[in-house]
Amino acid sequence: MMHVLQLLMDGLIDGGAYALIGLGLSLTFGQLRRLNLAYGATAMLASYLGAALYATQRAPAWLVAVTVIVSATLIGWYVEWMCFARSGQESEQGFGPAIGAPIAGADGREVVALASSFAIWMQLEQLAVNLLPQHLNAFPSLAAQQDWVIDSSLGELMVRPDRLLLAILAAVMVLGLAVWLERSRTGLSWRACADRRLAAHLVGMPVARLQTAAFAAGCALSGLAAFAVLSLDGQVTPMFGMWVLLKGLVAAMLGGLGSVRGVLWGGLFLGVVEAVAQASVGAQGREFATYALLFFVLVVPWKPRQALGLSAGLRG
Amino acid sequence: MLEISDLATSYGKIEALRGVTLSARSGTVTCLLGPNGAGKSTLMLTLAGILKPLRGSIKFEGEELVGCEPAKIVERGMALVPENRLVFPGLTVRENLLAGAYRRRDMAGIRSDVDAMFVRFPRLKERVEQLAGTLSGGEQQMLAVARALMSRPRLLLMDEPSVGLAPLVVAEIFSIIEQLHREGVSLFVVEQNAHMALKVAQHFYLMEQGRVSFSGSPGEMADDTVIQRAYLGQQRAEPGLPTSP
Repeated sequence: MMHVLQLLMDGLIDGGAYALIGLGLSLTFGQLRRLNLAYGATAMLASYLGAALYATQRAPAWLVAVTVIVSATLIGWYVEWMCFARSGQESEQGFGPAIGAPIAGADGREVVALASSFAIWMQLEQLAVNLLPQHLNAFPSLAAQQDWVIDSSLGELMVRPDRLLLAILAAVMVLGLAVWLERSRTGLSWRACADRRLAAHLVGMPVARLQTAAFAAGCALSGLAAFAVLSLDGQVTPMFGMWVLLKGLVAAMLGGLGSVRGVLWGGLFLGVVEAVAQASVGAQGREFATYALLFFVLVVPWKPRQALGLSAGLRG
Repeated sequence: MLEISDLATSYGKIEALRGVTLSARSGTVTCLLGPNGAGKSTLMLTLAGILKPLRGSIKFEGEELVGCEPAKIVERGMALVPENRLVFPGLTVRENLLAGAYRRRDMAGIRSDVDAMFVRFPRLKERVEQLAGTLSGGEQQMLAVARALMSRPRLLLMDEPSVGLAPLVVAEIFSIIEQLHREGVSLFVVEQNAHMALKVAQHFYLMEQGRVSFSGSPGEMADDTVIQRAYLGQQRAEPGLPTSP
């Protein structure tokens, strides 16, 4: 009994981190209907810049956090400019059925955007590896020294306070962003641009600028997530970019790409499934569960496409 | 109020507007007729700043609009109700209206205008928290008009407001046009339904193959045998429309 409870709790707490990682990816997908493959690499290069600052200057953790978030935002701005800005503008100038179509149909340009974001992924990852060539790099550690132990009549429960804090941060960020999207003027304009680009122009929204802002905000979130996750490990490796993209994508997919609240449920679900797989099969089972879940989300036929995988537009 | 001269717009190599010259006077309803592919919607999108013209000028209340961003044009007081309505399907009715007021900052004024829209369009009030994509065609058209009015335009551009709607709804749309006209809003309407347009418009233009080929009053428009044969004749064939004597 206690064992199952412990398993569930570990899963949920890990899932919070996945939700935080997937949040930015879901936001940018919702905004553009285009998948940003350079998402993980953005977080990784930003983390490497933070790690380099830490290694050379012995910078305090808060300064590293600011560095990671700011550089993720700037790198995101670059990625948007390279991969997504032009592909968006061109489709507005389209004519015939493209006029008035929602932001993206399969217009061919999304393939260009996808392929170029892959190229930028490789470019950013190579930059990071050139910056700090060794495999293991130190990162400021905020890990808790001790676990909390909750005694009860049934047995003991172990809680890692730092991980719990991360999960709470994730929930706060997700719900905060969702409410902000629903209530604020800028949130409304982001959703409007994602919903129908031409109409957003017609009511006077600066669509390109709003798109860049939403994209940069998504990347800033990836920086925040990267710092939060890495500061618990106290180290960063070149595998980090791929890890961010994979876990973030599965969490965002499970919740419905473009749905902000969905990411939280997707992340928590992924965390629990992984914890169960690890307990029953071992460490390989954990990774297998991630891939199986991703595949499952893509092919599962019994849910409308709105709810899983490719949702329409951006929702709170 | 609106003076367009020698306006040309193209899609790549296809020239859709080949030197359009026309004007809309303040306080009137001006109607632009023409067959499919004549360039009417292209003209509307060019006026709204979505498409960039190759040459020519658009003067609104004496100020040049060519080269202005769509946002600037909305701020100057010209709003487009686009073809096929183009409401935001994933936003609620209320959010659609708020989006229409995006360029405005007077929160109190926006709120009272939203309420005013619900008085004007009671059907929208019933659906205020419903997603716009779930509304009927007529309701979406009303929402599109209401959204454009939220920017407080002095000139309202409407691109085929009656297309695809049931006759009763078409009549409702035209009564809204008449009402706006009485309230002092100037209107420039693209319309295929010449019968209905004859009842509300004070001046007519006919556009064919990217050029204006006729300009005149409703009397001249109805008398012109060419137009009658080409357009009123066609309209008679459509089900549900009143037949002319």
